[in-house]
Amino acid sequence: MLRLLSSVRLTLVGMALLCAGVLLSYNRPAAPLWWLVAPLGLLAVNLLAAIAVNPGINRQGGLLVFHLALLGIVVLAAVGRLVHLDGVVEVTEDSAFLPGDVQVLAKGPLHPMGFSKVFFVQGPFTVDYGPELSRSTTRSQVLAPDGAGRLVPMVVGDDHPLILHGYRFYTSSNKGFAPLLTWIPEHGKPVTGAIHMPSYPLFDWKQDNRWTPPGGAEIRFWLRLKTPLRADAAWTMDRKDSSGVLIVSSGGRRIELKPGQTARLEGGSLRFDELRTWMGYKIFYDPTLPWLFVVAVAGVGGLAWHFWRRLGSSGPERTGRAAGFSAGHGALHT
Amino acid sequence: MNALARAPELPWIWMAVAAYAVTAGVAVAGVARGQQREKVVLGMLLTALVLVSVGIAARWARTGHGPFLNMFEILLSNLFSLGVVYAFAYWRLPVLRPTSVVVLPVILLLGLWLLVLRPAGGPLPPTYDTPWLWAHVAMGKVFLGTCLLAVGLAGVMWLRRTRLSAWFRDMPPDVSLDALAWRIMTLALVFESLMLIAGAVWAQGAWGRYWAWDPLETWAFVTWLALAAALHLRLSYPISPRLGALMILGVFVLAFLTFFGVPFVSMAPHKGMI
Repeated sequence: MLRLLSSVRLTLVGMALLCAGVLLSYNRPAAPLWWLVAPLGLLAVNLLAAIAVNPGINRQGGLLVFHLALLGIVVLAAVGRLVHLDGVVEVTEDSAFLPGDVQVLAKGPLHPMGFSKVFFVQGPFTVDYGPELSRSTTRSQVLAPDGAGRLVPMVVGDDHPLILHGYRFYTSSNKGFAPLLTWIPEHGKPVTGAIHMPSYPLFDWKQDNRWTPPGGAEIRFWLRLKTPLRADAAWTMDRKDSSGVLIVSSGGRRIELKPGQTARLEGGSLRFDELRTWMGYKIFYDPTLPWLFVVAVAGVGGLAWHFWRRLGSSGPERTGRAAGFSAGHGALHT
Repeated sequence: MNALARAPELPWIWMAVAAYAVTAGVAVAGVARGQQREKVVLGMLLTALVLVSVGIAARWARTGHGPFLNMFEILLSNLFSLGVVYAFAYWRLPVLRPTSVVVLPVILLLGLWLLVLRPAGGPLPPTYDTPWLWAHVAMGKVFLGTCLLAVGLAGVMWLRRTRLSAWFRDMPPDVSLDALAWRIMTLALVFESLMLIAGAVWAQGAWGRYWAWDPLETWAFVTWLALAAALHLRLSYPISPRLGALMILGVFVLAFLTFFGVPFVSMAPHKGMI
């Protein structure tokens, strides 16, 4: 039975099925997972059996390391999919990350949901743009706990994630302005919060949002930035260089507010405290990442070592006509 | 004239393609007459490489980044890398020299293709500013280069069954060429595996995921799978050199489509992810 499971014929069938599964799943996000999982499972069983019974593999160090690594990659990738999480979150400048704001896009059934332990405070950010609005480097400043639990400044970017409790936070093109507002009701305590305007500069023509304060009527907001969008030259998106007027519309009234100004509306007063920003992060969680890397590199190292020993000992330039690949015959499971 | 002013690299690239054309012509004529002018071919190959290097440098100075972005740059960089791999092999492995009949026309084809493309440039996304991109690209280039060496041998094995068989009478028998070709394909497997690993590390840093089955990833994996399957077949069954040559050509076609076909689908490498 083990011999049957370890056959090269089964390997080739598994590879053909995996190839078919990959091509069938191509560009089809809703494709059944088993199209990939089934052939991978078959190949894993085949590989395990081959490692167990085939001296062509288990007595050759490099080849053994390579095949064990392949098995390890399949297992780690499977574990990774079971515990992974993909999500997005928007965090307002000078505010702490709120786990409740995370929008989970996908997660494995065994994901531990450890967001409650994650804490950082969003600072200001800058984004460099080239001509024609080509986005370049993003530098998002945050305060995050170091190993000793102290909050220290860090800079996060598209390819420099903030890693907290295994969660990787990457900056994204999704970011924008966030007017900080204080609602002072006629009765009760004032509340302060920020309204996230649509992503900038993607929606520079549509910087509006709406909000209904407690005990008040719905308010519509438009942000009119003083600095027009530059599409013809390089520029940097930076809150320090940005200012604007907040246009408030409620109950048929239209009021323009500058930072610090207050408008009287139905049910209370609204103060435009200042213009802040918000940063949208992509969140990725997969604790198998470093192990995947180590196992993959070890596997290729094993393969290279094997070929070096088997084939490098009599290089083709030295043997000329007699250059033979036959040394490798029978090295694989049969 | 305007195009030249906007893209000062073009004259160098044109000269490089011309040099590749002359090199291919001299190499084919030499093999056909049984008088290989090896030093001349190698010298001309190195000349073509110098010219293409100057072209890349001129473009680099103009755009501010290496040739990583669009089809023009992919072809340009491969004109360089395939030339380097083949020049090295031509110098170090004399047995490979008659394969210039197959290999140099393939490189020339890429050069001619390059000539019909617009040399437009673009800004380098910030996610491309990482050493992992360099590692990924370098491993990919060596992979394709080694594949091309094996294709040269496979091509010779097939040309021997045509009226051109006399061109290769001084080469070792098919069984030896087959063995050498598969040695080279094993190297290709190592470098393709390294390319996939470096690419995954880059993708994790760049887009927050190490694998997402984007078109390039999918076809690179299919190529890896095909190469692994071909090696299993070759090592486990009595495959004739002719069939082995066909399998090598099949793997190369897949690799070629991955490198030069997928960008047609997604316009630029991993475009959908930028």
